[in-house]
Amino acid sequence: MLKIKNLSASIGNKQILNNVNIELPFGECLLITGQNGAGKSTLLHAIMGRPDITITGEIILVSEELHKLECYKRSQTGVFMVHQSPPTIDGVNTMTLFKELQKVQNVAGSTSELIKTTKALFDWIGLPEGWEKRQFNNGASGGERKKNELTQAIYLKNKTRVLLLDEPDSGLEQSSRQKIIDLIQETKNRNGCVLLVTHDKELQELYGANKLDLNNA
Amino acid sequence: MRKVYLDAESLDLTLVPTRPEYEFVFIQTEGRCTANIKLKPFPNTKFKIKIYIYAEGTSEVDCVCSLDVDKESGGIETDIQIRSWPFDKSKIKARPEMFIKNSNIIATHGNALGTLKSEDKYYLASRGISDYKELIKQSLLNA
Repeated sequence: MLKIKNLSASIGNKQILNNVNIELPFGECLLITGQNGAGKSTLLHAIMGRPDITITGEIILVSEELHKLECYKRSQTGVFMVHQSPPTIDGVNTMTLFKELQKVQNVAGSTSELIKTTKALFDWIGLPEGWEKRQFNNGASGGERKKNELTQAIYLKNKTRVLLLDEPDSGLEQSSRQKIIDLIQETKNRNGCVLLVTHDKELQELYGANKLDLNNA
Repeated sequence: MRKVYLDAESLDLTLVPTRPEYEFVFIQTEGRCTANIKLKPFPNTKFKIKIYIYAEGTSEVDCVCSLDVDKESGGIETDIQIRSWPFDKSKIKARPEMFIKNSNIIATHGNALGTLKSEDKYYLASRGISDYKELIKQSLLNA
Protein backbone atom coordinates (compact mmCIF):
# COMPACT_ATOMS: atom_id res chain seq x y z
CA MET A 1 0.00 0.00 0.00
CA LEU A 2 1.02 3.59 -0.69
CA LYS A 3 0.27 5.80 2.29
CA ILE A 4 0.43 9.56 2.20
CA LYS A 5 0.03 11.15 5.60
CA ASN A 6 -0.61 14.85 6.24
CA LEU A 7 1.25 15.88 3.10
CA SER A 8 1.73 19.59 2.56
CA ALA A 9 3.78 20.88 -0.33
CA SER A 10 5.08 24.27 -1.34
CA ILE A 11 7.21 25.72 -4.09
CA GLY A 12 9.14 28.74 -2.86
CA ASN A 13 6.77 30.68 -0.64
CA LYS A 14 3.64 29.34 -2.29
CA GLN A 15 1.85 26.55 -0.53
CA ILE A 16 0.14 24.28 -3.04
CA LEU A 17 -0.99 21.23 -1.06
CA ASN A 18 -2.31 21.30 2.46
CA ASN A 19 -2.65 18.21 4.58
CA VAL A 20 -3.39 15.59 1.90
CA ASN A 21 -4.03 12.03 3.09
CA ILE A 22 -4.19 9.01 0.79
CA GLU A 23 -4.24 5.27 1.40
CA LEU A 24 -3.97 3.48 -1.92
CA PRO A 25 -3.83 -0.33 -1.80
CA PHE A 26 -1.87 -2.20 -4.46
CA GLY A 27 -4.01 -3.22 -7.38
CA GLU A 28 -5.94 0.06 -7.41
CA CYS A 29 -6.03 3.25 -9.44
CA LEU A 30 -6.79 6.64 -7.91
CA LEU A 31 -8.07 9.44 -10.13
CA ILE A 32 -6.83 12.87 -9.01
CA THR A 33 -9.16 15.70 -9.95
CA GLY A 34 -9.29 19.41 -9.31
CA GLN A 35 -9.34 22.67 -11.19
CA ASN A 36 -6.23 24.24 -12.70
CA GLY A 37 -3.76 25.11 -9.96
CA ALA A 38 -5.38 22.76 -7.43
CA GLY A 39 -2.08 20.87 -7.14
CA LYS A 40 -2.71 17.68 -9.15
CA SER A 41 0.70 17.66 -10.82
CA THR A 42 2.38 18.96 -7.67
CA LEU A 43 1.06 15.95 -5.77
CA LEU A 44 2.61 13.57 -8.30
CA HIS A 45 5.91 15.50 -8.34
CA ALA A 46 5.96 15.54 -4.52
CA ILE A 47 5.64 11.74 -4.51
CA MET A 48 8.36 11.50 -7.19
CA GLY A 49 10.64 13.79 -5.17
CA ARG A 50 11.12 16.91 -7.29
CA PRO A 51 13.87 18.82 -5.50
CA ASP A 52 12.28 22.28 -5.64
CA ILE A 53 9.11 21.10 -3.88
CA THR A 54 9.32 21.36 -0.10
CA ILE A 55 7.13 18.90 1.71
CA THR A 56 6.04 18.06 5.22
CA GLY A 57 4.28 14.84 6.08
CA GLU A 58 5.03 11.28 5.08
CA ILE A 59 5.00 9.21 1.89
CA ILE A 60 5.30 5.52 2.70
CA LEU A 61 5.46 2.63 0.25
CA VAL A 62 4.88 -0.58 2.21
CA SER A 63 7.42 0.16 4.94
CA GLU A 64 9.78 2.39 2.98
CA GLU A 65 9.81 6.08 3.84
CA LEU A 66 9.93 7.55 0.35
CA HIS A 67 9.88 11.12 1.67
CA LYS A 68 13.37 10.53 3.09
CA LEU A 69 14.80 9.34 -0.23
CA GLU A 70 16.24 11.37 -3.08
CA CYS A 71 14.30 11.31 -6.33
CA TYR A 72 16.55 8.78 -8.09
CA LYS A 73 16.30 6.40 -5.13
CA ARG A 74 12.50 6.65 -5.19
CA SER A 75 12.62 5.70 -8.85
CA GLN A 76 14.84 2.72 -8.09
CA THR A 77 12.34 1.73 -5.38
CA GLY A 78 9.67 1.33 -8.04
CA VAL A 79 8.09 4.76 -8.52
CA PHE A 80 7.64 5.67 -12.18
CA MET A 81 6.25 8.94 -13.49
CA VAL A 82 4.89 9.70 -16.93
CA HIS A 83 5.65 13.41 -17.11
CA GLN A 84 3.17 15.92 -18.47
CA SER A 85 5.90 17.90 -20.30
CA PRO A 86 9.00 15.74 -20.74
CA PRO A 87 12.07 17.80 -21.68
CA THR A 88 14.43 17.65 -24.61
CA ILE A 89 17.78 16.63 -23.16
CA ASP A 90 20.58 17.99 -25.26
CA GLY A 91 23.46 15.53 -25.67
CA VAL A 92 21.62 12.48 -24.33
CA ASN A 93 21.12 9.77 -26.92
CA THR A 94 17.80 7.92 -26.59
CA MET A 95 19.24 4.40 -26.79
CA THR A 96 22.02 5.29 -24.34
CA LEU A 97 19.33 6.45 -21.91
CA PHE A 98 17.57 3.09 -22.25
CA LYS A 99 20.89 1.29 -21.62
CA GLU A 100 21.30 3.36 -18.45
CA LEU A 101 17.69 2.58 -17.47
CA GLN A 102 18.42 -1.11 -17.87
CA LYS A 103 21.48 -0.76 -15.64
CA VAL A 104 20.09 1.37 -12.81
CA GLN A 105 16.71 -0.40 -12.71
CA ASN A 106 18.29 -3.87 -12.90
CA VAL A 107 16.31 -5.03 -15.93
CA ALA A 108 17.52 -8.45 -17.09
CA GLY A 109 18.79 -9.01 -20.62
CA SER A 110 21.73 -8.39 -22.89
CA THR A 111 22.39 -5.15 -24.75
CA SER A 112 21.31 -6.73 -28.04
CA GLU A 113 18.04 -7.85 -26.42
CA LEU A 114 17.52 -4.32 -25.08
CA ILE A 115 18.05 -2.80 -28.53
CA LYS A 116 15.67 -5.30 -30.11
CA THR A 117 13.02 -4.76 -27.42
CA THR A 118 13.13 -0.98 -27.48
CA LYS A 119 13.09 -0.78 -31.28
CA ALA A 120 10.05 -3.06 -31.32
CA LEU A 121 8.38 -0.89 -28.65
CA PHE A 122 9.08 2.33 -30.56
CA ASP A 123 7.62 0.77 -33.68
CA TRP A 124 4.57 -0.61 -31.84
CA ILE A 125 3.77 2.70 -30.17
CA GLY A 126 4.16 4.62 -33.42
CA LEU A 127 7.43 6.52 -33.02
CA PRO A 128 9.34 7.26 -36.23
CA GLU A 129 12.08 5.00 -37.55
CA GLY A 130 15.49 5.86 -36.16
CA TRP A 131 13.98 7.28 -32.94
CA GLU A 132 16.55 5.39 -30.85
CA LYS A 133 19.40 7.26 -32.54
CA ARG A 134 18.02 10.70 -31.79
CA GLN A 135 19.01 12.98 -28.98
CA PHE A 136 16.37 12.61 -26.29
CA ASN A 137 13.09 14.18 -27.52
CA ASN A 138 15.01 16.37 -29.96
CA GLY A 139 12.56 17.81 -32.48
CA ALA A 140 9.74 15.71 -31.00
CA SER A 141 6.10 16.77 -31.04
CA GLY A 142 4.01 16.71 -27.85
CA GLY A 143 2.47 13.40 -28.89
CA GLU A 144 5.86 11.82 -29.64
CA ARG A 145 7.14 12.89 -26.22
CA LYS A 146 4.15 11.18 -24.60
CA LYS A 147 4.77 8.04 -26.63
CA ASN A 148 8.39 8.11 -25.49
CA GLU A 149 7.15 8.32 -21.89
CA LEU A 150 4.78 5.40 -22.39
CA THR A 151 7.56 3.36 -24.01
CA GLN A 152 9.71 3.79 -20.89
CA ALA A 153 6.73 3.00 -18.64
CA ILE A 154 6.08 -0.21 -20.58
CA TYR A 155 9.79 -1.13 -20.60
CA LEU A 156 9.90 -0.79 -16.79
CA LYS A 157 6.42 -2.16 -16.08
CA ASN A 158 7.71 -5.21 -14.22
CA LYS A 159 9.67 -2.95 -11.85
CA THR A 160 6.94 -0.39 -11.20
CA ARG A 161 5.04 -0.46 -7.93
CA VAL A 162 3.69 3.10 -8.06
CA LEU A 163 2.77 4.50 -11.47
CA LEU A 164 2.25 8.26 -11.59
CA LEU A 165 0.44 9.36 -14.74
CA ASP A 166 0.38 13.12 -15.29
CA GLU A 167 -1.99 13.70 -18.21
CA PRO A 168 -0.64 10.71 -20.14
CA ASP A 169 -3.22 11.18 -22.89
CA SER A 170 -2.56 14.83 -23.75
CA GLY A 171 -1.22 15.26 -27.27
CA LEU A 172 -1.92 11.63 -28.15
CA GLU A 173 -4.29 10.42 -30.83
CA GLN A 174 -7.43 8.58 -29.68
CA SER A 175 -6.06 5.20 -30.73
CA SER A 176 -3.24 5.47 -28.19
CA ARG A 177 -5.67 5.75 -25.27
CA GLN A 178 -6.09 1.98 -25.20
CA LYS A 179 -2.34 1.61 -24.57
CA ILE A 180 -2.71 3.77 -21.46
CA ILE A 181 -5.70 1.72 -20.29
CA ASP A 182 -3.73 -1.50 -20.87
CA LEU A 183 -0.73 -0.10 -18.95
CA ILE A 184 -2.94 0.85 -15.99
CA GLN A 185 -4.60 -2.57 -16.03
CA GLU A 186 -1.27 -4.42 -16.22
CA THR A 187 0.15 -2.34 -13.36
CA LYS A 188 -2.91 -3.15 -11.24
CA ASN A 189 -2.74 -6.84 -12.18
CA ARG A 190 0.91 -7.01 -11.14
CA ASN A 191 -0.04 -5.57 -7.78
CA GLY A 192 1.13 -2.04 -8.42
CA CYS A 193 -0.92 1.08 -7.81
CA VAL A 194 -1.66 4.02 -10.09
CA LEU A 195 -2.29 7.73 -9.51
CA LEU A 196 -3.88 9.28 -12.58
CA VAL A 197 -4.28 12.92 -13.53
CA THR A 198 -6.26 13.39 -16.73
CA HIS A 199 -8.70 15.73 -18.43
CA ASP A 200 -9.87 12.93 -20.72
CA LYS A 201 -13.58 12.37 -20.05
CA GLU A 202 -13.53 8.68 -20.96
CA LEU A 203 -10.56 7.94 -18.71
CA GLN A 204 -12.21 9.94 -15.94
CA GLU A 205 -15.36 7.87 -16.28
CA LEU A 206 -13.39 4.64 -16.42
CA TYR A 207 -11.41 5.33 -13.24
CA GLY A 208 -13.77 7.75 -11.48
CA ALA A 209 -14.96 5.25 -8.86
CA ASN A 210 -11.87 5.90 -6.76
CA LYS A 211 -11.31 9.64 -6.80
CA LEU A 212 -9.52 12.36 -4.84
CA ASP A 213 -10.79 15.87 -5.52
CA LEU A 214 -8.03 18.32 -4.62
CA ASN A 215 -10.48 21.23 -4.69
CA ASN A 216 -11.78 19.89 -1.38
CA ALA A 217 -8.54 18.42 -0.05
CA MET B 1 31.33 11.36 -41.17
CA ARG B 2 31.86 11.08 -37.43
CA LYS B 3 35.17 11.23 -35.65
CA VAL B 4 35.72 10.78 -31.91
CA TYR B 5 38.83 12.07 -30.14
CA LEU B 6 39.40 10.63 -26.67
CA ASP B 7 41.85 12.52 -24.47
CA ALA B 8 43.58 13.99 -27.50
CA GLU B 9 46.46 16.42 -27.02
CA SER B 10 46.27 18.33 -30.27
CA LEU B 11 44.49 18.28 -33.58
CA ASP B 12 45.39 20.41 -36.55
CA LEU B 13 43.08 19.51 -39.39
CA THR B 14 42.39 21.13 -42.75
CA LEU B 15 39.18 19.80 -44.23
CA VAL B 16 37.85 20.18 -47.76
CA PRO B 17 34.23 19.17 -47.20
CA THR B 18 32.78 16.75 -49.72
CA ARG B 19 30.06 15.18 -47.55
CA PRO B 20 26.84 16.80 -46.31
CA GLU B 21 27.65 16.45 -42.63
CA TYR B 22 30.67 16.08 -40.34
CA GLU B 23 30.66 15.44 -36.61
CA PHE B 24 33.69 15.91 -34.38
CA VAL B 25 33.45 14.66 -30.80
CA PHE B 26 36.04 15.51 -28.16
CA ILE B 27 35.96 13.59 -24.87
CA GLN B 28 38.53 15.00 -22.49
CA THR B 29 38.98 13.40 -19.08
CA GLU B 30 42.52 14.60 -18.39
CA GLY B 31 45.16 16.95 -19.76
CA ARG B 32 44.73 19.65 -22.34
CA CYS B 33 43.57 19.44 -25.95
CA THR B 34 44.09 22.09 -28.59
CA ALA B 35 42.06 21.63 -31.74
CA ASN B 36 42.16 23.68 -34.92
CA ILE B 37 39.73 22.64 -37.61
CA LYS B 38 40.12 24.67 -40.80
CA LEU B 39 37.42 24.42 -43.43
CA LYS B 40 38.37 25.19 -47.03
CA PRO B 41 35.34 24.30 -49.15
CA PHE B 42 35.12 24.18 -52.92
CA PRO B 43 32.58 26.50 -54.58
CA ASN B 44 28.92 25.41 -54.53
CA THR B 45 29.26 22.89 -51.70
CA LYS B 46 26.70 22.41 -48.94
CA PHE B 47 27.76 20.96 -45.61
CA LYS B 48 27.12 21.04 -41.88
CA ILE B 49 29.68 20.82 -39.12
CA LYS B 50 28.75 19.67 -35.61
CA ILE B 51 31.32 19.75 -32.84
CA TYR B 52 30.58 18.20 -29.44
CA ILE B 53 32.99 18.74 -26.58
CA TYR B 54 32.81 16.97 -23.21
CA ALA B 55 35.33 17.74 -20.48
CA GLU B 56 35.59 16.56 -16.88
CA GLY B 57 37.94 16.81 -13.92
CA THR B 58 40.51 19.51 -14.48
CA SER B 59 40.89 18.87 -18.21
CA GLU B 60 40.89 21.67 -20.78
CA VAL B 61 39.82 21.93 -24.39
CA ASP B 62 40.57 24.84 -26.69
CA CYS B 63 38.82 24.41 -30.02
CA VAL B 64 38.59 26.71 -33.04
CA CYS B 65 36.64 25.85 -36.16
CA SER B 66 37.36 28.34 -38.92
CA LEU B 67 35.71 28.69 -42.29
CA ASP B 68 37.84 30.24 -45.00
CA VAL B 69 36.08 31.27 -48.21
CA ASP B 70 38.02 33.18 -50.85
CA LYS B 71 36.68 35.56 -53.52
CA GLU B 72 36.22 32.85 -56.15
CA SER B 73 34.31 30.35 -53.98
CA GLY B 74 30.65 31.34 -54.30
CA GLY B 75 27.55 29.25 -53.77
CA ILE B 76 28.60 27.70 -50.48
CA GLU B 77 25.96 26.90 -47.85
CA THR B 78 27.12 25.86 -44.43
CA ASP B 79 26.22 25.72 -40.75
CA ILE B 80 28.70 25.25 -37.91
CA GLN B 81 27.35 24.24 -34.51
CA ILE B 82 29.43 23.72 -31.38
CA ARG B 83 28.00 22.26 -28.17
CA SER B 84 30.15 21.96 -25.06
CA TRP B 85 29.64 20.31 -21.67
CA PRO B 86 32.23 21.41 -19.10
CA PHE B 87 31.81 19.27 -15.97
CA ASP B 88 33.61 19.57 -12.63
CA LYS B 89 36.47 22.08 -12.83
CA SER B 90 37.19 21.56 -16.50
CA LYS B 91 37.51 24.43 -18.96
CA ILE B 92 36.30 24.59 -22.53
CA LYS B 93 37.06 27.43 -24.90
CA ALA B 94 35.35 26.89 -28.24
CA ARG B 95 34.57 29.24 -31.07
CA PRO B 96 33.55 29.22 -34.71
CA GLU B 97 35.35 31.73 -36.94
CA MET B 98 34.36 32.81 -40.43
CA PHE B 99 36.58 34.54 -42.98
CA ILE B 100 34.39 35.13 -45.99
CA LYS B 101 35.40 37.15 -49.05
CA ASN B 102 32.49 36.29 -51.31
CA SER B 103 28.96 37.71 -50.99
CA ASN B 104 27.24 34.65 -52.52
CA ILE B 105 27.51 32.57 -49.33
CA ILE B 106 25.06 31.35 -46.71
CA ALA B 107 26.95 30.64 -43.52
CA THR B 108 25.44 30.31 -40.05
CA HIS B 109 26.92 29.26 -36.74
CA GLY B 110 25.98 28.53 -33.15
CA ASN B 111 27.93 27.96 -29.98
CA ALA B 112 26.33 26.67 -26.77
CA LEU B 113 28.07 25.80 -23.54
CA GLY B 114 26.66 24.43 -20.30
CA THR B 115 25.84 21.26 -18.43
CA LEU B 116 22.35 19.98 -17.67
CA LYS B 117 19.42 22.17 -16.66
CA SER B 118 17.81 21.44 -13.31
CA GLU B 119 14.65 20.15 -15.04
CA ASP B 120 16.77 17.73 -17.08
CA LYS B 121 18.48 16.46 -13.92
CA TYR B 122 15.11 15.98 -12.23
CA TYR B 123 13.78 14.11 -15.24
CA LEU B 124 16.77 11.75 -15.29
CA ALA B 125 16.56 11.30 -11.51
CA SER B 126 12.90 10.33 -11.97
CA ARG B 127 14.24 7.48 -14.10
CA GLY B 128 16.71 6.44 -11.39
CA ILE B 129 19.70 8.01 -13.14
CA SER B 130 22.05 10.10 -11.02
CA ASP B 131 25.31 9.86 -12.99
CA TYR B 132 24.57 12.55 -15.56
CA LYS B 133 28.18 12.95 -16.66
CA GLU B 134 28.51 9.31 -17.61
CA LEU B 135 25.23 9.45 -19.51
CA ILE B 136 26.40 12.40 -21.63
CA LYS B 137 29.82 10.80 -22.15
CA GLN B 138 28.37 7.47 -23.22
CA SER B 139 25.83 9.22 -25.45
CA LEU B 140 28.61 11.06 -27.26
CA LEU B 141 30.74 7.94 -27.54
CA ASN B 142 27.94 5.66 -28.73
CA ALA B 143 25.70 7.93 -30.81
